[in-house]
Amino acid sequence: MSLFWQCLVDSLLLGGLYSLMSIGLSLGFGVTRIINFAHGEMIMFGAYGAYFGSVLLGVDPLLSLPLVAILVAVTAAVVFKALIEKVLDAPHINQILLLFGISLALQNVAAILWTGDARSVSTPYSLTAFEFETLLVPHGRVIAFATAVVLIVALFCWLRFSELGRATRAVAENGQAATLMGINVSRMYMLSFGINAALGAATGAISAFLLTITPFMGFHMLIKAFAIVVLGGLGSVTGTILGAFALAFAETWVSYYVPEGNGWAEGVAFVVLLCVLIIRPKGILGQAVAVH
Amino acid sequence: MSSLIKTAAVTVALAGALVSTHAAAQNTIRIGAPLELSGRFVAYGAQGKRGVEMAVDVYGGKIGDKKIEVLFRDVQSNNQVAVTAFTELTQQEKVDFVIGPIASGIVAASVPAWRQSKPLWIVPGSSSTQLEEAMKGEPLFFHTYPWAYQYHEGTAKALAEAMGKGKKVAIVYSDGAYGREQLPWAKEFYTKNGFTVVATELVREGAADLNPVLQKIRLTRPDVLVGIVQTTDGIQLAKQIHVAKLNIPVLVGTAYPQLQEWSQATGEAADGWIGATTYLPGMKRAADPKLAKLFPSLTDWEADFKKRYNREPEFLDVTNYTSAMMLLVAIERAGSTDKDKVAKQLTTLNIQTMLGTSNFVPTPGGALHQAFNEMVVFQRVGEKFVALYPADAASGKLKLKQ
Repeated sequence: MSLFWQCLVDSLLLGGLYSLMSIGLSLGFGVTRIINFAHGEMIMFGAYGAYFGSVLLGVDPLLSLPLVAILVAVTAAVVFKALIEKVLDAPHINQILLLFGISLALQNVAAILWTGDARSVSTPYSLTAFEFETLLVPHGRVIAFATAVVLIVALFCWLRFSELGRATRAVAENGQAATLMGINVSRMYMLSFGINAALGAATGAISAFLLTITPFMGFHMLIKAFAIVVLGGLGSVTGTILGAFALAFAETWVSYYVPEGNGWAEGVAFVVLLCVLIIRPKGILGQAVAVH
Repeated sequence: MSSLIKTAAVTVALAGALVSTHAAAQNTIRIGAPLELSGRFVAYGAQGKRGVEMAVDVYGGKIGDKKIEVLFRDVQSNNQVAVTAFTELTQQEKVDFVIGPIASGIVAASVPAWRQSKPLWIVPGSSSTQLEEAMKGEPLFFHTYPWAYQYHEGTAKALAEAMGKGKKVAIVYSDGAYGREQLPWAKEFYTKNGFTVVATELVREGAADLNPVLQKIRLTRPDVLVGIVQTTDGIQLAKQIHVAKLNIPVLVGTAYPQLQEWSQATGEAADGWIGATTYLPGMKRAADPKLAKLFPSLTDWEADFKKRYNREPEFLDVTNYTSAMMLLVAIERAGSTDKDKVAKQLTTLNIQTMLGTSNFVPTPGGALHQAFNEMVVFQRVGEKFVALYPADAASGKLKLKQ
């Protein structure tokens, strides 16, 4: 019984982290129709930003999160303007190659700048937990979950109530119609890519005290985020959240209830993904994507 | 006529260049060093490069009148690139001596490339017993790093002596080759030393949450937890064990508990962890009586290293320095760059190094030349290391975690 509640809590907390990790990728795809294969590196740069903020300036990762997110977003917007915008109408393979190239270059830049040493931030809350009899709720993961919820709610509010948010949704729905309505589509592409990067960097800032930071941490997270986005439905932000929690629950329950399950968890999660895609190829709440 | 003159001139120039290159090669001792200078194992490669470079510098850069040239190649922590680099060094550059790479998987990938021309190969890394098996009976293969079983052999014995028999042990191992290969050894040595293995839990490399594994282990109430994972996962494991308050009295790692990067990343969660190593910062080891400049006391060597690199040495810095220096001494003693003669000298060096005596001995797995079998079991107490085992190296007693 104690494992049941523990499993439930762990699943929820992991789901929050997965949601934040993948929601930016989903938004970026929904608007630009480009899968940002350098998303993992946005997370990695966010993690290093929070790490150096903590080590060099003594700033808590949660406090450095907004600045780190803005810096990464601005840099990503510049990269978008300089490189990615040029392949928006190119075949998907060109886009994928370019973004993978950027991803590899960023990994190696990080390795050169900061070496391959594994790092992590130890804050007072990252090494403590609430205890309710046998139930353990780590402070760090609760804070990460709460941060994820705040950022996701902020994103939804922005998309729904702000002018730029509504324009972003309009572009996601129909780029040509949005252009006819006088929306600067190119600017919205850059903005959504920047937000994608900012959310990635925010995930990184949280990961700085939850996970291990290395220049190559992003690739693993990209694969997970990509699976979540596909599971939830490409381009659907709500679907992505559902996908994130579905994957987190599948992984955690397999880890708890299957012998040596932690090793199998990822495999089982991808089997779930496969099954969902067979039954519903668009994902849980996805939209159809034209094949060119 | 003029084209004939041009052709002749080019031929003469090429021949001249070849002769001068050949002459330069004759006056140079070339050592190949394929190392992980980028990619996920860059920390290993960086230490390897520092160690080799420092050895050549301390040696004076020359053996007799021949200049020592180390051909570093970046294997990018990638198996395929390692094969290409190794092949280029041995087939094109024609080196007869190779040091590196270090990471188990990368070394394993290099074995077929090594077999093509079989240079004298010193591997200052890789604990994989698959490598030991693959290099069975090879006279030109020299290993200067512990094998997987050596970690568990010494640790299990040390803990049995300190804790007594009948204790329970739980093992967490990663799903990569590193964890899977060491698991049987860990089980064997802990069982042999009177422990009961109550749980073996697999963890995914790079997993974001290890709590499910830890909660299952909590139910088995072990006295000892052994974490057979790589450094990155070792950080995650130590932090989550600390958060979960598992109240396991003894926590054991493999190589990672001694790494600065691990302890810095885990913070207070690093306290009390036990590991095994051939080098511990601050250990006392005397200089070699005859070659004190090349193999000074460990304290003097550490001071020299800190002066050069403005940082504390890691065990791969020491291992690579020692390996490279032993090779240079062997080449000088052989009076030749013939790899067989140098190999013979290496096996009879008998030098007191910073890692212990340089004697190469055969291993149970069939490798002919294994150096540095004296593993020291240590415990992290605050910022310090306390040597627990063997008795003659011990500087304190096992402290149980509260």
